[in-house]
Amino acid sequence: MVMLTITRIEARHLADLMGQFVDLLQATEDAADDDAVARLVPDAYPDDPHAGREFRHATEHELLDRRRDDANRVLSDLEASGASAAEGADDAVVDVALSPDDARAWMRSLAALRLVIASRLGVADEDDHDPDDPRFGVYDWLGYRLDGLVHAVSAD
Amino acid sequence: MMARVAHPDTREDVRREDAPAGIPTWQTVVWNDPVNLMSYVVHVFREYFGFSREQATRLMLAVHHEGHAVAAGGPREQMERRAQAMHDYGLWATVRKAPR
Repeated sequence: MVMLTITRIEARHLADLMGQFVDLLQATEDAADDDAVARLVPDAYPDDPHAGREFRHATEHELLDRRRDDANRVLSDLEASGASAAEGADDAVVDVALSPDDARAWMRSLAALRLVIASRLGVADEDDHDPDDPRFGVYDWLGYRLDGLVHAVSAD
Repeated sequence: MMARVAHPDTREDVRREDAPAGIPTWQTVVWNDPVNLMSYVVHVFREYFGFSREQATRLMLAVHHEGHAVAAGGPREQMERRAQAMHDYGLWATVRKAPR
């Protein structure tokens, strides 16, 4: 069991982002139509378009369904803990208890959300970072939370 | 009339068939990307491939410094499953024929 300690404002923000992520997945009929969604189902055969199409055909739906299910799991964990509830002071701290499976879904979701935001921000290499753009603040915060979970689950 | 010149394509086919069984013929390659955290990539390699922390760190650093690294070798279907698993974690992986 992993205990995640999070402030209410963080929890609400995270719930909002996960909700937007689910909406984006729902609104995208073909991953190829949206660069950010396309990044979640990368081309496995860059040198073989035919094999690439077959691989995509066989895996895309399952992968995107998993992203939606993972994000919904984060949303329900936040809701169940009361962390993302509308009441309560922004800086109040809430503990969210995560089972090992929950923690895995959270890590995959945080990683996926970072990929989506990075795609929107046009991050092409590790030095692409604008400290004055608040969206990078969100991106870094998600990375901080992901890194914390990774260390919590692999403490040995 | 009986003498026949071997067609180059035929020779190529024979050479392929002569490849010893059991040698991995396909690979799953993981590529560097500017988004995934090093700690998360190590976690993925440990969790999915069952690598030790040291093995997983070595592979992560190879991806990071070389731009890509071979994470697995074997039959094509298996390598495709590995690639899909990497995609499920958000890593960027491709499948290729092992270079001879």
